Amino acid sequence: MTNNEYPEEILQSLEDYNIDIRDFLPGHGSGAKLLLDFNKISGVEQVEGIILKGREIDNGIVADIIIKEGTHHEEPIHLCFGVNKESGIQEIFPRIIAEDNTDVKIQAHCSFPNANGLIHKMYGHFYIGKNCNFTYSETHYHGEKSGALVAPVAIIYVGENSTFENNFNLTKGTPGKVKIMIDIYAMRNSTIRSNIRAFGKNKKDSIRVRDSIFLEGENAKSLIKMKAAARDGGEVLMYGITEGNAPHCNGHVECNEIVLGKGSICRARPFIRATDPTSSVSHEASLGRFPQKWLDELQAKGLTEQEATDILIEAMLRE
Amino acid sequence: MLLELENVTIPTFDKQRIIVNNVSFGVKEGSIHSIIGPNGSGKSTLAYTIMGLTNYKLKSGKIKFEDKDITDKTITERAQLGITLAWQEPARIEGLSVAKYISLGVKEKSRIKEKVKDVLQTVNLEPEKYVDRFIDDSLSGGERKRIELAAAIAMQPRLIILDEPDSGLDVIITEDFWNIFNKIKELNMTILLITHREDIGMVADYGTLLWRGEHLITDEFPKVMLQYCKKAGLKEFCKRALFKNGVKCFDDDYIDKIFEGVDLND
Repeated sequence: MTNNEYPEEILQSLEDYNIDIRDFLPGHGSGAKLLLDFNKISGVEQVEGIILKGREIDNGIVADIIIKEGTHHEEPIHLCFGVNKESGIQEIFPRIIAEDNTDVKIQAHCSFPNANGLIHKMYGHFYIGKNCNFTYSETHYHGEKSGALVAPVAIIYVGENSTFENNFNLTKGTPGKVKIMIDIYAMRNSTIRSNIRAFGKNKKDSIRVRDSIFLEGENAKSLIKMKAAARDGGEVLMYGITEGNAPHCNGHVECNEIVLGKGSICRARPFIRATDPTSSVSHEASLGRFPQKWLDELQAKGLTEQEATDILIEAMLRE
Repeated sequence: MLLELENVTIPTFDKQRIIVNNVSFGVKEGSIHSIIGPNGSGKSTLAYTIMGLTNYKLKSGKIKFEDKDITDKTITERAQLGITLAWQEPARIEGLSVAKYISLGVKEKSRIKEKVKDVLQTVNLEPEKYVDRFIDDSLSGGERKRIELAAAIAMQPRLIILDEPDSGLDVIITEDFWNIFNKIKELNMTILLITHREDIGMVADYGTLLWRGEHLITDEFPKVMLQYCKKAGLKEFCKRALFKNGVKCFDDDYIDKIFEGVDLND
């Protein structure tokens, strides 16, 4: 596939994240790939050990990804869900199975640069086998009109002795309405890290994230880190949920949110629950403005308060 | 004088108590000027007030920079005039790359990579090892201090206020910091050095002694240090420690006289 077969606007849309989607297109790099142009599959590339199949349905696709036992790949599997149109519905049904002893990363780019009435939904099911190392990273750009409604749901099972890392990043552009629900079930000796970063920039931006981890296996460990900022009327609500339901499991929820400008709202609702007497679950949250001494440190370098605040947000939301 | 303080009085945040009382002194352009005094004497408060930090306001007095009254200027305005401060707890903004942090205050962004490398070398850090790193827990306190100094130098300010640059560092690093201070001086920057360590302070040309918020003396640094030792009752220390460029600053007999109460100017 050549670059000019995929909308240029989408290819360029993640530049602010320092991501060039061209680097991930079929024919570039050695990773498996699936590209979607609205609801049409415009490119698929498979590599040894990874089965990647897409099937078009009425408003989107079903994507099956199977990582065969023992497969290790440095190069990430690239999923690009791009929509160049202003409006419409895009529904993605990914079904992902990582068989035992695999080590892979999935990098998903969801880019809707012209969104103005666009609906993007995802219903993902992940099964991660035993002794796996699996990273799923999703970077979003919803244009500058706050015109997207984005609602991904993911249910993820992480097998024994496996490590699963989830990264969700929506810090550039204007998000619009975003509702994210993630449920992760962690089995014996598994380790889960979930990093959520989001930035609402005006009163049309509303971001709600419910990130839940259920520690169901002995010695399972987890860490949820949620970082968000709301500016000029933007609204962010973060639910960080962890349940300790097995012996010696250990989980922590951390949430930091910054509120800037009148009418902006940040809310954090850590919810922790322990049902096993040997489990340990904790949380911490901070909301409000940046500490004055951080602003002073940057202003002593000649930055205005606004510039200093922008730098602090950039640092806080760094992927 | 590059910087002049005229009858500066600084209250606590709640304005119930005075931290620095009626202090006046000047800092000569191109010099290293050290403010010394025991803990709690108001040194850092004075430094933050000169920088114009948000919560540090004068009750009375004036601060002049290059003969202009800057008392009412904000921290940003003072920085843009050429004053900056390297902090006692430096480089706290985690998540920025070292290169980005250093370049924040650089006005002219052309050749920025070279400028960042140059200042890292000035503070004795190997540029290749640091430019791509991020400010995070992997950096030691000493590395952060040097990066903070590099960021201050990169601004090319007229006046750098160094707040306790020695705190948390091993004594063995002292000489290295002396060298860095002299390099900064060679770059035509004036240093206002806040310290309570005489070995760091001995690099200074001039000094000011603060004692419980009061200004006791401003003079050549060894003379200020002698007064400090007298005030603290440290005669033997004074005889043992007051050396400048390897040469003893005062004869033991002279120190004895000073401690017996003879006026320094006699």
